Amino acid sequence: MAAVRTFVLPHYPEYPIQIALFKDVTNAAFLRSQLLEANSDFDYAFIDASMILTPTHLLSPVFLSLHLHLTTRLKTRTPHSEIIFRLHPNNNIGESYRKFGISDTTTTLIAVRLSLTPDVTRESVAKHLGDVVEGTSVDVGERGEMLGEWGDVGLVRKVYKLGDGGGAKGKKGAKGVAIGGGVDERREMESVILGIMAIKGL
Amino acid sequence: MATATDTPATPPPQHTIHILPAPFTHSPLTLLAQGAEALVYRTVFLTPHTPCVLKYRPPKPYRHPILDKRLTKARLLAEARVLVKCRKDGVTVPAVLGLDAENGWMVLEWVEGGSVRGVLDGWVAGGGRFEGVEAGNGVWGLMRRIGRAVGRVHDIGVCHGDLTTSNLMVRTGASAVRGESEGPQTQTQMQRPKRLTPSALREAAMTSDAPPVFELPPEEPPPPPSKAQSTSDLEGDIVLIDFGLATQTVQDEDRAVDLYVLERAFAATHPGAEALFQEVLRSYGESYKGGRSVLRKLEDVRLRGRKRSMLG
Amino acid sequence: MIALGLEGSANKIGIGLISHPSANEPPIVLSNLRHTYPTPPGEGFLPKDTAIHHRAWVVRLIKQAVRQAGVKIEDIDCICYTKGPGMGAPLQSVALAARTLSLLWGKPLVGVNHCVGHIEMGRAITHASNPVVLYVSGGNTQVIAYSAQRYRIFGETLDIAIGNCIDRFARTLMIPNDPFPGYNVEQLAKKGKNLVDMPYAVKGMDASFSGILAAADLLAAQIDENLPLEKRLKTEDGELVTKADLCFSLQETIYAMLVEITERAMAHVGSTQVLVVGGVGSNKRLQQMMGLMARDRRGSVFATDERFCIDNGIMIAHAGLLEFKTGVTTKLEDSTCTQRFRTDEVFVGWRD
Repeated sequence: MAAVRTFVLPHYPEYPIQIALFKDVTNAAFLRSQLLEANSDFDYAFIDASMILTPTHLLSPVFLSLHLHLTTRLKTRTPHSEIIFRLHPNNNIGESYRKFGISDTTTTLIAVRLSLTPDVTRESVAKHLGDVVEGTSVDVGERGEMLGEWGDVGLVRKVYKLGDGGGAKGKKGAKGVAIGGGVDERREMESVILGIMAIKGL
Repeated sequence: MATATDTPATPPPQHTIHILPAPFTHSPLTLLAQGAEALVYRTVFLTPHTPCVLKYRPPKPYRHPILDKRLTKARLLAEARVLVKCRKDGVTVPAVLGLDAENGWMVLEWVEGGSVRGVLDGWVAGGGRFEGVEAGNGVWGLMRRIGRAVGRVHDIGVCHGDLTTSNLMVRTGASAVRGESEGPQTQTQMQRPKRLTPSALREAAMTSDAPPVFELPPEEPPPPPSKAQSTSDLEGDIVLIDFGLATQTVQDEDRAVDLYVLERAFAATHPGAEALFQEVLRSYGESYKGGRSVLRKLEDVRLRGRKRSMLG
Repeated sequence: MIALGLEGSANKIGIGLISHPSANEPPIVLSNLRHTYPTPPGEGFLPKDTAIHHRAWVVRLIKQAVRQAGVKIEDIDCICYTKGPGMGAPLQSVALAARTLSLLWGKPLVGVNHCVGHIEMGRAITHASNPVVLYVSGGNTQVIAYSAQRYRIFGETLDIAIGNCIDRFARTLMIPNDPFPGYNVEQLAKKGKNLVDMPYAVKGMDASFSGILAAADLLAAQIDENLPLEKRLKTEDGELVTKADLCFSLQETIYAMLVEITERAMAHVGSTQVLVVGGVGSNKRLQQMMGLMARDRRGSVFATDERFCIDNGIMIAHAGLLEFKTGVTTKLEDSTCTQRFRTDEVFVGWRD
């Protein structure tokens, strides 16, 4: 059994989100092959944990995907692939997978599963992931505190082209830092990234 | 009757009750304001402990539905783009948390604090007088921060389009207290000295009787306000809000009109504050490279008014 | 008190007599005559020719108006004329007539702002006490609200007036000018159903209409029946776009712009009443859209019919008499006219 936390998004209480985190994963290649084969048992968003900065950074695309799914406006095949797609700043699906999805060498990953039907429960997800993911399950915490733990600030900054803005550095950014309070670079980055994801493709 | 530059008294939310689009249709939301264009609600987003503002542009029944959809989408998107640009360039505006332009809504970061209008009114109510304010008074600092905030927005190539003292907020420290974000933040975030200003308390009092929105992990109760921690209302970052009329432009003319609108709003809303407003302009002029030439342009704009004279 | 009003700021000459019996009684329209300078399709009116038209009609109309009113010359208290804004030559020809009458009959003159004339007439007819006023005509597009002795302009066109836009649009599509272009556009629009994209330009409480004209030129060329079928403009469903569709789209676009800026002004001043005046105000679709907006704000729309919406002498007589009663007259040497005369330049001494 893997440690799975259930998140309930405000305004969509009827669709809980199951989230699990694994480190020291050794079979990313296998998991990825199952996605490529579109094995329906592997209906997850597997995300490279180094690309997630904060819990909200993950919950935002999850919300968008769920919302677009329920209003039948998905740009990709499933709400789970849509999560990967929504994470990326532009509209290239393949690129989204390369940047945010798992690769054969990924060792830390986040698995997301939307409970769109009653049979998908925390228990069913915990059991299945525990069976198929070879690695160490990490409890993400009640508020998902651990979700950003492996986030690579430099990588994320690069993907979203944050340059010296939206964070601690830069001439104009200097004042911006104060917004988040103190020197919280991640929080400041997160607030820009959420916006970038929200306006993308429109 | 208001004068031409009066900031509107927000009409009480007594107008048509709008049905909100998904996913907010059945959520209990608190209506904060209703303008000509948008309804503004307070709610939470992504997590039950992330307060936010929902801005909804309802369909206009008088407009052809195709045209209405096109306009609503374009405007929301333009507003969101400007906000994201501001945040990217380090300008203090509410972050965009979510957007569904097709359906007319946008979710913005909650900014804890009060409007400059309210702060100045409160200052006057507390015995402050605009004429002959002594040098050390905090109100001068507030003016300087306003000038700098507007200068920063202009510097990155954005004109607000509707600068009034209601669209400038003074952010109080309370947002950090409320646990605006979640998770790691609450653990790793530097615990800033918490400033619960009187306006933050008023805000809290205003919103605390709202119905409980979601039952989820309880928030840590905000620490009790302590006299020692509280500072003047006049302090705090200036946050510009409501970019519904904003444009991306670097023209001195547009910037000068922006300042002119603010000047008129100041004059209409805070009679007697002309001398104080000069401090806003002075600090604006120093805030970025193009500032001084905009101030020169402002003199032209003042002479002719916002509008040019035109053929009847 | 009785006033004679002379209006001729554009292509219509209007002569009217009004009586203000006493402070608490509504004004009585004694006579209201008008003649429009006709122009063939595809043509507008030139100032010089319009002035000639006005000169040719002014005496006839005055005689008829006075006769119809059944008043004696000595009953008339003042001669009111349009000082501006408007087209120079037509304004001058009517001002000249007013001056002549003033000297001939020994009556004081009152120079009236054309826009204020529309507003006061609209208020008198509809009993709207303190509305936001949308003034829309061939030469004007303004959103106005009263404050501290002035009619203040909250929003206006940034380029051409709405009526001018409609007239020129009609000319581009060779829509007849009789009775007036806007009427024919309105009738055609009723048969249109496909919305064609046109520039929607609102900036705060201001609007711009010049982009519409540029678009109209392009669109008109694309619906030309002489074009091969495959080159004609079609809807997404492959239907041919018609002249009626363009009229429909024009109305849907520009009136939505007007309603939007009006709504912004109403929200700004906290008013729920809106009064539509000026020639374009007689358009039924505009009135309907305004009504939908006002209903949403729990307010109401006031509009007048063609007799008072379209330029007329009565409104000049009425507004002039209001001013006359506050003791204001225009000296002969000051009885000029001016093409530019902003609504907010007038001191409104007759309102609280």
